[in-house]
Amino acid sequence: MLDLIRYFFLKRYTLSTPIDRARYVVIDTELTGLDPRKDSVVSIGAIEMEGSKILLGRTFYRVVAPACVDVSAVPIHGITPQETMECPKIEAVLPEFVSFCEGAVLVGHRIGIDLTFINRELKENYGTALTNPSIDTFRIYKWLKRLEIGADAFYEEPKESETLFDIAGAFGITVNRVHDALYDAYITAQLFQRFLPKLIERGVRELRDLLRIGQSEGR
Amino acid sequence: MPVHEEVIEFLKEVPPFQFLEEEDLYSIVPGMNMEFYPKGAVILQEGGPPSDALRIIKKGAVQVSIKGEKGEELIIDVRGEGETFGLWSLLEGEQKTTVRAIEDTICYLLPKERVKHLLDTNAIFTEYFLRSHISKYLDKALKERIQKGLSQREVERAIFTTPVINIASTEPVTVKVDTPIQEAAKKMAEKRISSLIVVDEEDVPVGIITDRDLREKVVALGRNLNEPVRNIMSYPLKKIDGRRYCYEAIMEMIRNNIHHLVVVKDGKLYGMVTNHDLMLLQGSSPVSVAQEIRNQDSIDGLAEVSKKITGLIGLLIKEEAKARTITRIISEVNDSLIRRVLEIAEKKFGPPPLPYCFIVYGSEGRKEQTFKTDQDNGIIYRDPGTPSEATEAERYFSEFSEFVKESLLRCGFASCQGNYMASNEKWRRPLSVWKRYFSEWINTPTPEAILQSVILFDFRALYGDTDLARELKEHLLNTLKGKDIFLLHMAKLTVNVKPPLGFFRTFVVEKSGEHKNELNLKFRLIAPIINIVRLYSLETAIPETPTIERIERLKQIHPVMKEVGEELAYAFEFVMTLRLHHQYEQVLSGREPDNYINPDTLTNLEKKTLKDACQIIRKTQEIIEQHYMLGRVM
Repeated sequence: MLDLIRYFFLKRYTLSTPIDRARYVVIDTELTGLDPRKDSVVSIGAIEMEGSKILLGRTFYRVVAPACVDVSAVPIHGITPQETMECPKIEAVLPEFVSFCEGAVLVGHRIGIDLTFINRELKENYGTALTNPSIDTFRIYKWLKRLEIGADAFYEEPKESETLFDIAGAFGITVNRVHDALYDAYITAQLFQRFLPKLIERGVRELRDLLRIGQSEGR
Repeated sequence: MPVHEEVIEFLKEVPPFQFLEEEDLYSIVPGMNMEFYPKGAVILQEGGPPSDALRIIKKGAVQVSIKGEKGEELIIDVRGEGETFGLWSLLEGEQKTTVRAIEDTICYLLPKERVKHLLDTNAIFTEYFLRSHISKYLDKALKERIQKGLSQREVERAIFTTPVINIASTEPVTVKVDTPIQEAAKKMAEKRISSLIVVDEEDVPVGIITDRDLREKVVALGRNLNEPVRNIMSYPLKKIDGRRYCYEAIMEMIRNNIHHLVVVKDGKLYGMVTNHDLMLLQGSSPVSVAQEIRNQDSIDGLAEVSKKITGLIGLLIKEEAKARTITRIISEVNDSLIRRVLEIAEKKFGPPPLPYCFIVYGSEGRKEQTFKTDQDNGIIYRDPGTPSEATEAERYFSEFSEFVKESLLRCGFASCQGNYMASNEKWRRPLSVWKRYFSEWINTPTPEAILQSVILFDFRALYGDTDLARELKEHLLNTLKGKDIFLLHMAKLTVNVKPPLGFFRTFVVEKSGEHKNELNLKFRLIAPIINIVRLYSLETAIPETPTIERIERLKQIHPVMKEVGEELAYAFEFVMTLRLHHQYEQVLSGREPDNYINPDTLTNLEKKTLKDACQIIRKTQEIIEQHYMLGRVM
């Protein structure tokens, strides 16, 4: 299966695809916590982009029953343990998710974390992992900001505590109060949409350039 | 799902989507896309691929432009949040404009197939686009036509694009009301100016003295030079807001036969604009033609000047004036020509034995004249007190009106085919007879009475004792109250001629004869709109006569016109523009102007707009049919 996915990817896209023509799937997950050893995925949201166009009808959203429920995370994502118990197990939705992502470049805000959890589940259940190239919008943000400000020795990197919503707000993206994994993916997509023309303006034209500056760390 | 809800919440505030059912919104949103265009990005390119989606601006703004003759960019529209673009190119498969983001812009995209589906299935959706795009199209149609061939000099456009304040002289020179005439005249001579503003003790402007006042009221009358200027000043002061355009100042001057207007800014005295300032701006202007008309002392002279009116219309067309502006200016100029003829006639025949008012009706009464102008006029005079006075009045006005008719003929005003002219004794009568006419037509609406009402009820005063016309108008509006049978007959006439659109949205054209494959704009489209608007005006007894003014008024007070008024006004403007341009082309190539056009010669956009105009006429006629005729014996 792994080879098959890679085959499809290579067949559909080459690294020379212009970044405003590539197909992206912007993803976000809600987790019970950040420790891969004991926490797990609560929900997965994803929305597709065709170049800089967000396809409002091409979305993916599943709430899954986690292996362990950490009640402390409830106030953040608003999904109660009761709700997740009635949902399918993550194994059941993974194939659907993998095929939704097929052939696309994955994009997410600090996407490394999301991929760590998803790939752990994929390995445990199917002995495989997502091989799509992935882009971290936070890295792109830092890269653009550095260029924009004209970083010198006194330049301070944006703090890791700066959230997606802080950044989105700074770019004039309206953020609703209520949010879930899909909505966060949608916000991320809008942020990425804003980045694309700026990237092109700075010479980032092909997927290979984009991956060079935005490839997510750690998988 | 919050993602879709966010879009739906937005669309609920945006016409025409706000008129859709919630479930329809839920069904279209998943088919939509979202795009971001940084400031400066070209979204659609003139001559490039057509739009594949209707774009709804969520945030930001775009500018719509077309390429001018020399490749320059002519901006024709700016659209902002909640507005759409790309519809026409999507429907026509041709991108005729360039759309550029002038701010960072976010758009929702509704794909072509969805748009077509909505247009086919949702009447409100379709109607909305009919309305908003006719208005936007108007400007574009003018630009298109101008580019087609009529070259223009920059200066010629100036009267329509220059605010009065830009050419007004500042710091007007003032004198107090009690200043002696001689002192004021000295001041004018010193400053080499042709006018002074007269202010009261509190420096509030109350009047004006011009060199004309000095000539006519001082020198000619041998007045004592120590009298205060208050005795010779002209008042009330005619003012114009500095933000108004120069052509409006021109119309104001023609209307009042004056050469000076006081310019106010934020309600305060700012300066002065003179006929001379406007003439400098404009080589040959409507003002200068009107001025020339006024300077003529003979019919020969007037006939000569009247030839310039056609050129004037061409100028106005080139200046991209709207149809309503052109017809108004033509009417103002024609009015001053007729007034001059009447003044000359009064000189020739001596003062009239009784006060009279010269009225005009038909298109002249509505101020909707174009190239070919018929004489539609009449005379109302005060009721004579004695039989001998009556005999004398009949004799005087008979000779007088015959002279007027012949004079106007020589000035290019054709005789009226139905003989609705003051030279016809039926249309030069004492006020009481006119009142009786109107009452009879309304109370006994025979076919002939209806025909006469249609023409005469659009009357307005042009010259003389306007009180007479006012009394007649009051009589008319009072008599109309509760006259349902009369209104029913007017309604029948109104729905009688249907707009030329067939079952499959194809144009209905003449099948044979001289105008084979052509359609008559006046008979099929313009007259039906005028009739609709007149019907409602009589129904609500409003005094206005110009169709556009009537619509403006009716939109406030008439439930049907509230709904369709704006669209009818756009449709009227569009068809009038089409006709004016058509006639101008005919005149340029030395033909007689007519009202026939071949729809095949129109651009796709013009065809579509013309069809939309037909539909709004048809729709209103149906409303009239339902209101007046359902359940009645016809």
